[in-house]
Amino acid sequence: MLVLHYASSSLTGAVTDVSAVDVERNSISILIREEPPQLDSSRATDAVSGMVLGHVMEGLVRMGLDGRLEGAVAEDWEVTPTTATFWLREDAKWSDGQAVTAADFIFSWQTALKPETGSEYAFLLFAVKNAEAINNGTLPPSALGVSAPNPNTLVIELERPVPFFDKMLVFPTFLPIREDFFLATEGRFGADADQLLYNGPFQITRWVHGSSMTFERNPHFWNQDEIHLDAIHVPYITSDATASLNFFKDSKIAMTGLQAENLTEAMRMGWQIRQHRDGTVFYIDFNYRDGRATDNLNLRRAIQLALDMDEMVYKVTKLPGYEPGVSLFPGWLMGEKTLLRQEYPPTKIIPNASAAKAYLQTAMQELGLSEPPTLVLLSGDNPISSVQSEWVQQSLKTTLGIAVKIDKQIFKQRLAKMTAGDFDMVLAGWGPDYNDPLTFGDLYASWNKNNRGEYNSQELDTLIETAQNQLEPAVRMRAFGDIQQHLIDNAVLLPMYERGVTYVVDPRIKQLKRRVIGPDPDWSRVYIDTGSE
Amino acid sequence: MSTSHLTPADFQPLQGSVSGQQISRPSLSYWADAWRRLQDNPRAMASMGLIAFLLAFVSVGPYLWQVDPSVQDLDQIGIGPGADRSVTLAPPFQPWLPEQQSTILADNAMGLTLTMPATTQAVRLMWARADGERYRLYRNLFDPSDTGSFGLPLAELDRSYFEDRLDLQAGTYFYSLVMLDANGAETATAITQTVNVTRVISVAEAIERGLIKTEAEAQLGQELKLAWHPLGTDYLGRDMLARLMYGGQVSLFIGIFAPLAFVLLGVIYGSVAGFLGGATDQAMMRFADFVVALPFLLFMILFKVIFGIGPGESGIWPMLVAMIILLWPAPARLVRGQILQIREEGYVSASRLLGGTTSYVVGRHMLPNTLGVILVTMTFQVPSAIFTEAFLSFIGMGVAPPTPSWGAMCNEGIKSMLTRPHELMFPALLISITVLAFNLLGDGLRDALDARMRGTE
Repeated sequence: MLVLHYASSSLTGAVTDVSAVDVERNSISILIREEPPQLDSSRATDAVSGMVLGHVMEGLVRMGLDGRLEGAVAEDWEVTPTTATFWLREDAKWSDGQAVTAADFIFSWQTALKPETGSEYAFLLFAVKNAEAINNGTLPPSALGVSAPNPNTLVIELERPVPFFDKMLVFPTFLPIREDFFLATEGRFGADADQLLYNGPFQITRWVHGSSMTFERNPHFWNQDEIHLDAIHVPYITSDATASLNFFKDSKIAMTGLQAENLTEAMRMGWQIRQHRDGTVFYIDFNYRDGRATDNLNLRRAIQLALDMDEMVYKVTKLPGYEPGVSLFPGWLMGEKTLLRQEYPPTKIIPNASAAKAYLQTAMQELGLSEPPTLVLLSGDNPISSVQSEWVQQSLKTTLGIAVKIDKQIFKQRLAKMTAGDFDMVLAGWGPDYNDPLTFGDLYASWNKNNRGEYNSQELDTLIETAQNQLEPAVRMRAFGDIQQHLIDNAVLLPMYERGVTYVVDPRIKQLKRRVIGPDPDWSRVYIDTGSE
Repeated sequence: MSTSHLTPADFQPLQGSVSGQQISRPSLSYWADAWRRLQDNPRAMASMGLIAFLLAFVSVGPYLWQVDPSVQDLDQIGIGPGADRSVTLAPPFQPWLPEQQSTILADNAMGLTLTMPATTQAVRLMWARADGERYRLYRNLFDPSDTGSFGLPLAELDRSYFEDRLDLQAGTYFYSLVMLDANGAETATAITQTVNVTRVISVAEAIERGLIKTEAEAQLGQELKLAWHPLGTDYLGRDMLARLMYGGQVSLFIGIFAPLAFVLLGVIYGSVAGFLGGATDQAMMRFADFVVALPFLLFMILFKVIFGIGPGESGIWPMLVAMIILLWPAPARLVRGQILQIREEGYVSASRLLGGTTSYVVGRHMLPNTLGVILVTMTFQVPSAIFTEAFLSFIGMGVAPPTPSWGAMCNEGIKSMLTRPHELMFPALLISITVLAFNLLGDGLRDALDARMRGTE
């Protein structure tokens, strides 16, 4: 017992001597919400892994501080409808000093596609020739349409034209992995700090599982000029919002998120509050399987007209930065020239109780019901989901007399129930995987595994195929506009809100980048402003 | 020799002596004595009064305060007791079309203007904009010149108007407009406008909430009073008083019935085991050990399945059954221990020698002597049952929303403890009062029922 106590106090001792911003050691401390399950980029799925990998690894391209795509390991590239060619810079090095070559990318992608790897994001590679067949196990990994004429050139044969192929490459699945190192770890690749080889601006020098991490500057990184910090410490791993706020107040961490309850205090303290819309859309999804009342269009229309999302966002959730949902396509997506939302403005649904009741009457006749159906609403177990599901429950009861049963589940169980179709309605969210409207647009395709309600419409499938296969931006964007209209007209889903994040950062920190696509937040280019100008 | 005549009357027994020992006071039965001593204990009597009050609060209360505990008053979310309820009647909210509105901009640096009186429906701002300029708009509850920051960023805009509808409350807001440079960094060009927001309600909403009866009697600008919530509302605008009443039904039901049932079961089991002793006792207590080892949560889930309770339905009955089936061994062990001890006491032997039957000995001598232990256990089980219900409701195994329970209300209230303390305080206070009342009553009962203390004071 005593030994245990000493062990834990020495741990906290190590943690307490780091401060939010350490000017002398040129380092900062941050908090992450969860520990990355592992850091093998071919298997990474969650946002925290993506954020950590974004600091210690570098892919072919990256999102720059100005939000544009810029070369990383690749110096230059060219995408045609049939091939994509990347010319790698010669000074890109691994943390052991060896050069990063085209073979490292080929090995990584082949690994991600192997059926035994079980990568959830292997589908992102399906644009590459033979990738889908390799993932299904019908072709060997060596059949992948990627070749390296010399160590610094990577030629990718494309299965079909993908106009946004280069933009997809910021996703962690496309990061390089060196074969000899991967094999030397004997299946433990990415499980620990010394089981990884780094080619990014930082390397993980210490990883105490469940407790803390340290990233230190990678001396072999090619672009030293852009990197200013010597170290980033992660002394705390917790998702407790109150703990995070208290650490920030005690100058232990450089950034914290703010909840609606803390805003008044933050304003009183005079903190520089910032806001970031993280690109995620939240919506109510319906179940379209046979025998579900929600398969009925008029019932969905009734619900669509009964729920006032403005009221929910402005009065119930009350979080700044949240915007009432109007479409599955969030407002930040680019269209042909300007924002997609400006080019194809979605029809705004004005809530109307009497029209909703009329639709419900029709629906009840069609379904052969004498009274409104009872619906099961599947929801997450976090506080925001609870409040929202209770609001939906009460709104539908008051306006339509529909009884709603709330089924609160943890994330994994909710996903399992969604896949099994064990729900009528579900509070769901979707974040972008790459910077093209298609990342949202193909969500309701009959072949998409994430279409958990099994919506199936020939008309919509045709539109999605157009958006996928056409190269002309104008044609694609019109298809997205039509998809959006189809989703609204048929009440396929009910957009609730686009999520925002409200946070405060230590005022000495400059060049912190928040972004929708790619690692967020990105501390890699941060410098400390000492104020001595 | 004189003869004497004896009559049968002479052989009648004499009347008993009147002056002999006499019981001068009415005979006191065990229970009457206990009741007398309980009455002499003011704390116990006060706690009995409290319990009676709590029972009346949850049973009669809902008839006196007829408010639906699940109705959401979204105009008054999270208000404390005694909050201002006045509201002004205004036209309904209309979407804003700033392009069609001709506004004369105010005469300040950036022309920041409030285009119409600020209400809780919306605050509409306009300003002068040159081509290509971008702005960031802030809102603050405090004067930026005092705190040194503009406050909460609402939006980044490349247009000349903004409509704020986020959680507007009656009061003063400071809106600041800051111009951004080409890189999106803030420039020194900034202006702050003070805005006084008044609370309004539209005619349709006023009729819906029953504040006025018909549209005919409505007069724009008229002052009304919103629905009264004596103890405030929770995070969804639901009446706290009504929720406390309905929530108490669940909490007190579980808190009283579950301990009552499993303590009774435990007492019977424990006294049988203790009284019979020997191999039977060993076997019975090993079975009790086995039951202790069963995981409560697992059984709770199993019962939920057996009872056919789906998601979103109340799990109160399986909870009650699980508690009764799994929690009896603790009181059973205590009672058995006591019985084993009492079985060897002299007065028990005496009672048996005088011909007392088993049931008489147990009922008359043994149980009353264990009552102290039993009651102490009971009173501790009441709060623990209430907390178990709270915990299970929190993980979705107990009451289903929107049904309230005190425990579930505490769990919700703790999230906003610093900003809206009343949401946590009231249910927590009621749980505390219940627990205290049962503890004090238990104390009093133990003293009153303890056979050894009989007639001592």
